[in-house]
Amino acid sequence: MSALDLPPRPRGRWKPLVAIGVILVITAITLSPQVGISFSFDAIVRNWQNGASKIFALVQPDWSFFPRTIPPLLETLAMAVIATFVASLVSLPLSLWAARLTNPNRWTRGIVRTLLNIVRSIPDLLYASVLVAMVGVGALPGIVALLLFNIGIIVKMVSENIEANDAGPLEAGRAAGGTQFQINRVIATADALPAFVNQTLYVLELNVRASTVLGLVGAGGLGLLIDAVRTFYRYDQLSLIILEILVVVIVIDNASDAIRRRLV
Amino acid sequence: MGAVPFSIHARDVTVRYPNGVVALDGISLDIQAGEMVSVVGLSGSGKSSLIRTINGLVPISSGTLEVGGRHLESLRARELRALRGDIGMIFQGFNLATRASVLNNVLVGRLAHTPTWRTFLGVYRAEDRQIAYEALERVGILGKVWDRASTLSGGQQQRVAIARALSQQPRLVLADEPVASLDPPTAHGVMSDLRRINRDLGITVITNLHLVDLARQYGTRLIGLRAGQVVYDGAVADASDAVFENIYGRSIENRDVLGT
Amino acid sequence: MSVPSLFTLPPRPSRRGRVAVGIIVTLIVVAAFWSININWARLGSLPAEILRYLWLMFSAPDWRKLPEALLQTWRSVEMAWVGTVFGLIIALPLSLLSARGFAPAPVRWGLRVLFGVIRAVPEIIIAIVILSVTGLTPLTGALSLTVTSIGTLGKWGYESIEGVDPGPIEAVRAAGGSGIEVIRWGVWPSVTPEFISFWLYRFEINVRASAVLGLIGVGGIGDMLTSYTQYRLWPVVGVLLIVVVVVTMSIDAVSGAIRRRITEGATVRELDR
Repeated sequence: MSALDLPPRPRGRWKPLVAIGVILVITAITLSPQVGISFSFDAIVRNWQNGASKIFALVQPDWSFFPRTIPPLLETLAMAVIATFVASLVSLPLSLWAARLTNPNRWTRGIVRTLLNIVRSIPDLLYASVLVAMVGVGALPGIVALLLFNIGIIVKMVSENIEANDAGPLEAGRAAGGTQFQINRVIATADALPAFVNQTLYVLELNVRASTVLGLVGAGGLGLLIDAVRTFYRYDQLSLIILEILVVVIVIDNASDAIRRRLV
Repeated sequence: MGAVPFSIHARDVTVRYPNGVVALDGISLDIQAGEMVSVVGLSGSGKSSLIRTINGLVPISSGTLEVGGRHLESLRARELRALRGDIGMIFQGFNLATRASVLNNVLVGRLAHTPTWRTFLGVYRAEDRQIAYEALERVGILGKVWDRASTLSGGQQQRVAIARALSQQPRLVLADEPVASLDPPTAHGVMSDLRRINRDLGITVITNLHLVDLARQYGTRLIGLRAGQVVYDGAVADASDAVFENIYGRSIENRDVLGT
Repeated sequence: MSVPSLFTLPPRPSRRGRVAVGIIVTLIVVAAFWSININWARLGSLPAEILRYLWLMFSAPDWRKLPEALLQTWRSVEMAWVGTVFGLIIALPLSLLSARGFAPAPVRWGLRVLFGVIRAVPEIIIAIVILSVTGLTPLTGALSLTVTSIGTLGKWGYESIEGVDPGPIEAVRAAGGSGIEVIRWGVWPSVTPEFISFWLYRFEINVRASAVLGLIGVGGIGDMLTSYTQYRLWPVVGVLLIVVVVVTMSIDAVSGAIRRRITEGATVRELDR
């Protein structure tokens, strides 16, 4: 083992250790009682008696509650469908507007992108909570909240897909004397369509999930009922609602998967 | 197609890209209406830039370029689009919208003659559709009219691209390495399609090639480019191997020949 | 090439399938619009209303509440952080157990169903269940984010593990490696970049989710936002929204930059090999 000419060890091997150290320090801070989340087992133990009975209620759904959940459940689904539909109408032109290949103008593109980045950074329930205060309780603020959330997602994903597409076909359209609008309509839209359909279906799945809880802040649907049963600690009824959400979400996910396989 | 084919007159055309590369360096050329010209040169010699400059995809830095009686350097956006509408272009990579049907790809050639609202709604005039069908029939793939472009072979895709150019009812066809992605028999098929367009319809055709034998077989006139300058301009018949060696700056090798 | 005078167009393929899909989608959308109880007359005045409120919020933001807003944001980010760290610690072994070839099939399918159920239930409902034990504290938020993180990280994890090139795993097995050694030397090196990327991405999601959890009263920026929305103190609401946007976008930017570096680093290493 004497004459082996070992090349120098690469530098930077300490980096993972530093990263782990930083993570541990931050976690310690966030868990410290002074500045962080107080992690008190006492409270949990004290609450346990009270909590355990509620958790126990969760495994005994109150089936007689079922008829009352149907109208809000349908409203939830209607909100999800309407928001998805309107979002898809608005998002396709906005996606073309936000992609470099289909909108060479740097300024208008920058404006759309910045606005959408801002819109995307606020969660749907916060929108709903502010919108309810603005326009009153009901399905309308819920739909608008979903809409804002959806447009952010679809436009981001579809415009990125357009950028990743081959620029050649668009150049062919330009060489044939087409205007940017015509090229976008005929060529870019055709190439972006699979991504667009895919994202719209994905957004529908997200909406079904999200719309069930929008009512917690007064924005219509099943959430209103969730809020009511939780104030009265009717966890047996909550359990039924959770089961319904599970079934609906799984059914919609599978349906949208089936459509996706067919169309794309 | 009664329209007069385009002639091209270039005087000291220089094209400098924003990154400082000089693609065309003082090119002067006269191409008469109805000529079949092969432009040869190695990659990077400027032949692709020349073709793109002729239909205004690349702006001219200095010099004057007259295409079909219009001065490219002074055209406005709308006039430039109208001019491009008369110039069919064929690309090495076919540049089809692969998700769209063959018909919709060919109808791209009608964009310059179609009002925006029709494009938006996707309702083309019956005569535009007829032009598209005829163009497909000319290149012999009308049978694929309803198929998705992505389901076609390379040779078929290039034929669709030629039909797209034909449906413009062009007065000039520019082809940028149209057969570089095709196998030899298909390449000859596409080249003879281009030659028939020139002979039967009288359309001016300019084809970029890097293969010596194709240039000899299908052109009547040869323009050699090297480092952005014209180093040969004359009849194909007069272009000996020495001429090609001068254009390429090296001896002719196997890869410069397609074979059969 | 003679001008083709007469030619036969091939028959147009049937579009029945597409038409059927179109009709079904239309029917569903129409039914949704028809069933929903909305005062459509209000829709016309909605844009003007929203503009008016935007003006109330952002024309003269009340910056005096900024320190408290930042403190509450820190609370939210803490919940997100703790939820992510706990989540990844628990999800790591679970995703191994739910990947093909590491545990018996019943365990695998049980875990996969669990991940599916967690992902189907909105985090706020999980928080409502958990708060019955832990009360309205940030801990509730952190724990419910832990649970939801397990759902996504577990699923992404086993998908990633199953996508690993079997070559290195076989090499370790062939060298006589034990199960743990297979994981350490056959699986772990290939999935690390992806896993770190998943964790960061889940942290970004948790930052948004933690703000939402505030709505049920577990504290943090969402809690503060609901209160001031209910008091209709719009200049404060404006400040809070600005804080949410700035903090979320900054965290996304930092985390996204790290993710890109990690995945690009991985490809460079790939090329080296």
